[in-house]
Amino acid sequence: MGFVLRMAWRETRATWARLLFFFVCVAIGVAAIVVLRSVVQNVRATLTREARSLVGADLVVQSNRPWTADTRSRLESVLAAFRVLGRTELVETQTMAATLPGQGTGKVRLVELRGVAPGFPFYGSIELQGGQPYSHDLVARHGALVPAEFLAELGLQAGDELRLAGQSFTIRGVVVKDRVQRGGGTIAFGPRIYIDLVDLRATSLLGFGSRAAHQVLLRVDERDLDALTGQLRRSFERDVVTVRSWRTLEDRLGRNLTIAENYLSLVGFAIVVLGGIGVWSVTRVVVQQKIRSVAVLKCLGASSRQVLGTYLTQVTGLSAAGSALGVAIAALAVAAIPASLLEPLGIKSASITVSAALQGVVVGLLVSVLFALVPLLEVRRIKPILLLRADTRFTARRRDWQSWLAGGAIGVLLAAVAIWQAGSLLAGVFVSVGFAVIAGVLALASRLLVRATAPLARSSKFAVRHAIVSLGRPGNQTRVILMAVGLGCFFILAVRALQANLLEEFDAQLGGRSPDLILIDVQPDQVDGVRAVVAPRATEPPRFLPLMRARIVAVSGRRTRLENAEAVRAHGRLTREYGLTYRDGLQDNERILSGQFWSGPAAGEPARGEPQAEVSIVEEVQRDAQIDLGDLIRFDIGGQLLEARVTSVRKIAWDDAQNGGFYFVLRPGAATERVPHTFVGFVETGGNPAVRGALLRDLVTAYPNVSSIDVSAILDSIRHVVDNVTLGITIVGAVTLLGGMLILVGAVAMTKFQRLYEAAIYRTLGASTRLVATMVAVEYGMLGLLAGVLGAAGALGLSWALARWLFEIDWRPAPGLLSAGVVVTAITVAIVGLISSADVLIRKPLGTLRSE
Amino acid sequence: MIELTDVSRTVTSGAGPLTILHPTSFQIPRGQAVAITGPSGSGKSTLLGLIAGLDAPSSGSIRLDGVEITTLGEDRLARLRGEKIGFVFQFFHLLPSLTAYENILVPMEIAGVASPQHRAKTLLGSVGLSDRGHHYPSQLSGGEQQRVAIARALANDPPIVLADEPTGNLDTATGRQVIDLLVEVNRQRGRTLVLVTHDIELAALADEIIALRDGRVVERRLNQRRAAV
Repeated sequence: MGFVLRMAWRETRATWARLLFFFVCVAIGVAAIVVLRSVVQNVRATLTREARSLVGADLVVQSNRPWTADTRSRLESVLAAFRVLGRTELVETQTMAATLPGQGTGKVRLVELRGVAPGFPFYGSIELQGGQPYSHDLVARHGALVPAEFLAELGLQAGDELRLAGQSFTIRGVVVKDRVQRGGGTIAFGPRIYIDLVDLRATSLLGFGSRAAHQVLLRVDERDLDALTGQLRRSFERDVVTVRSWRTLEDRLGRNLTIAENYLSLVGFAIVVLGGIGVWSVTRVVVQQKIRSVAVLKCLGASSRQVLGTYLTQVTGLSAAGSALGVAIAALAVAAIPASLLEPLGIKSASITVSAALQGVVVGLLVSVLFALVPLLEVRRIKPILLLRADTRFTARRRDWQSWLAGGAIGVLLAAVAIWQAGSLLAGVFVSVGFAVIAGVLALASRLLVRATAPLARSSKFAVRHAIVSLGRPGNQTRVILMAVGLGCFFILAVRALQANLLEEFDAQLGGRSPDLILIDVQPDQVDGVRAVVAPRATEPPRFLPLMRARIVAVSGRRTRLENAEAVRAHGRLTREYGLTYRDGLQDNERILSGQFWSGPAAGEPARGEPQAEVSIVEEVQRDAQIDLGDLIRFDIGGQLLEARVTSVRKIAWDDAQNGGFYFVLRPGAATERVPHTFVGFVETGGNPAVRGALLRDLVTAYPNVSSIDVSAILDSIRHVVDNVTLGITIVGAVTLLGGMLILVGAVAMTKFQRLYEAAIYRTLGASTRLVATMVAVEYGMLGLLAGVLGAAGALGLSWALARWLFEIDWRPAPGLLSAGVVVTAITVAIVGLISSADVLIRKPLGTLRSE
Repeated sequence: MIELTDVSRTVTSGAGPLTILHPTSFQIPRGQAVAITGPSGSGKSTLLGLIAGLDAPSSGSIRLDGVEITTLGEDRLARLRGEKIGFVFQFFHLLPSLTAYENILVPMEIAGVASPQHRAKTLLGSVGLSDRGHHYPSQLSGGEQQRVAIARALANDPPIVLADEPTGNLDTATGRQVIDLLVEVNRQRGRTLVLVTHDIELAALADEIIALRDGRVVERRLNQRRAAV
């Protein structure tokens, strides 16, 4: 052991200049991991906070009907098995709010009434005017908290009385900012007013048939969250009860957060792999240069184990020192992030976290030792007999079973690290398989390249001829550069391509087509009039959507026969109230799976004995409720019955729910005109509050019955989160690009040691500096080009696979990015090759020849 | 005592099997100096490599002090070399990352010798390089490097010293110094010395000369008029 340690120290002392790059690779890799992890952890904390405030709790159990003794007892029995840290309830419903006679403007306004119990809110905040803190006492005993704009609209002020459901409430506070359950999938149908749940229950609002959301909010241990969610969902499978947790947010926002998290973790690993490639490249060169020394040691009686131990100790020591430097760099880098960048992420200052630092060091050590082990194992096969030969170059023979075994074990370990870092088996497997495939392809490609370029060896240009010859020379750097640059290029481009895809995805979801004002209760005969009032101030022509609320009361089909409303309830799958619309075309996010979608409205009345209308259903209805083409469905729409025949089945891309998602769409015609329905208008005002205000004033004057919902606040809150995620991803992308480039530049530069000797001989034989430089440029440029092309092809495949299978987002190729990547790679490799060979070109050849 | 019995070495080349050493048998008694001579490609270095266990013979047996080495594993052979054999090469083969002094220390460290520093210094002195111990090989002349190599070969006081063209890379004057040292190893210290050489002057110092040609021993003669130093 003493010998191994002493030798490791002596070797390091003598070759530190060359090993500096090894050191730097590990440091960059570890620094990147620590920075990324720290930022990710900081951002994740913010995102978790956002997600929690969107849900308002760790877990919400919601029913659109009052809790029954049965549902209550089932809820209790599930909860009894878990440790519940906090629990509160709320009920949300709509009603009209009015001023007391003779007070204020005397207006009546549709409001969203939220009855809350003590303990509310668990997450998110309700900011009150004058910095007054929120407490349940403010609403207890007929108190109410109302938003500022509502006060203005009704001409009231704090302290005044307000009438809700025939009872009077005192306004005890004014809500300036409400960040509890805002935009979490539910749209508020008016200003939100808080009262005590006890008082709400005492009104007539929650009687039979009322529309209200009854929620139980829970705070639970994070470790129990998924299990509890699952169990509750199973327990309420057949009820109209939804269970959602902040982690399983099923709306688009939740999905985006998960995607962003996965992506960030993956990038962290990718950059370490880049560092690993650098380490591999350095170790390989170092081993090549140590072949004679190894043979001498073996000749002097050292065993393979002692020799391997020496270099392994050296590598481990360097990795440890590099990791420590990496953590130091990360600490400086994180501290240097300007506050202006952190502000939008919701944090004042960032610092590296202990867990991130530890993880960085462990991954850095593991990856660098594993990557170094591949070339180091060659040491075992160096035979001392080569000392008796004039040429002491080590020619690799076929791999023995031990090197295959070692290679396999290293591969498995690296895959394990990948899985750990990506935090997901799937992601880790994708990356590892992608890595293995591209490595295999690159190895194959290097052979093909040598063969494909062979004809160029007959070129009349000396530089080209010799550059080509040296590509095929045994023991040259073709394979190393192709592997290092190809893999590096692959990772960088895959990360960038995925980034472009993710950002486009986010953008598509929040694109300019978001209406910020929603008009409800527009009567059929008011549509044209409202359009005329709104259109001049809107940035886009307003869209109007007919809307009717319906229940299914009978189904007559081949697989499902439900005679009446009781049978429908017993069936369980179709019990809820559905929103129906009618139109004569498909939306962008819809396509027909079977049957045929009508063209144009139905003409005239249907023949006797024929159903009154046609309906198009979504595949989920066909699958779950077993309703097929040709089946008849009877709807109860505001007391009127309407029978419709299923004439088509649609598929809806729910990701793109911007275009709406209706389970049932009717064919417009005489029958649909007859049933009671209203229109919902979607207006875009370009985000200008002044325009919105003016528009609303005009509208209220002309059509006082039309209510408006300002969704700009919801949009802003979603946009805010997505912007944070976007920023995070962009920073990460930049770090990857920078770190990756640095490492690759080093990896290429390392191959110069193999060129020193040849360059010296060419110069001795009379080649001018320019000629040797051209040779070098052609050779490296060729390698860079091929590595770039292969890397880009791999990146294309990986980003597709990840987008398709892991992130489940639409994939778009990024041809511009990829071709730019190829060109930049080729040029960079050529330039780096030239610069790193500069001393070879300038130096007198004798020195080089002598030292060989 | 070095004993070779029907030792041969065949390698497979592109054109089929190529015998670089035909079955050869001879013995070298303890303390003797033997020179192996012959033109390039005659199998001299192959023979030396086989004696040192650096290469395995295709057939036959090799015994060093009664130990059959052809059946030993790589690591056992390495240990045996460390204990019994000192090596001197044509291209010196010092470890470039170590100083002259450390190069001499290494074999003793590998063998686990306790406090080898004094012996390393003595050996350095005995080759006349006491004041060059802290220099790296690249800072030494060829002759100096070869003297360090000889000191290193003697570090573990091995009974056998093998030298492959030890003067092949040196000018006449420096070569002479090296020759003197090797002679001293053999005559004063009583070590068995096996030399591969083209150098007539060097061969003239041996007790016996074995001449090779095309992988066969073509002549073995005792050197009656062994040159005096």
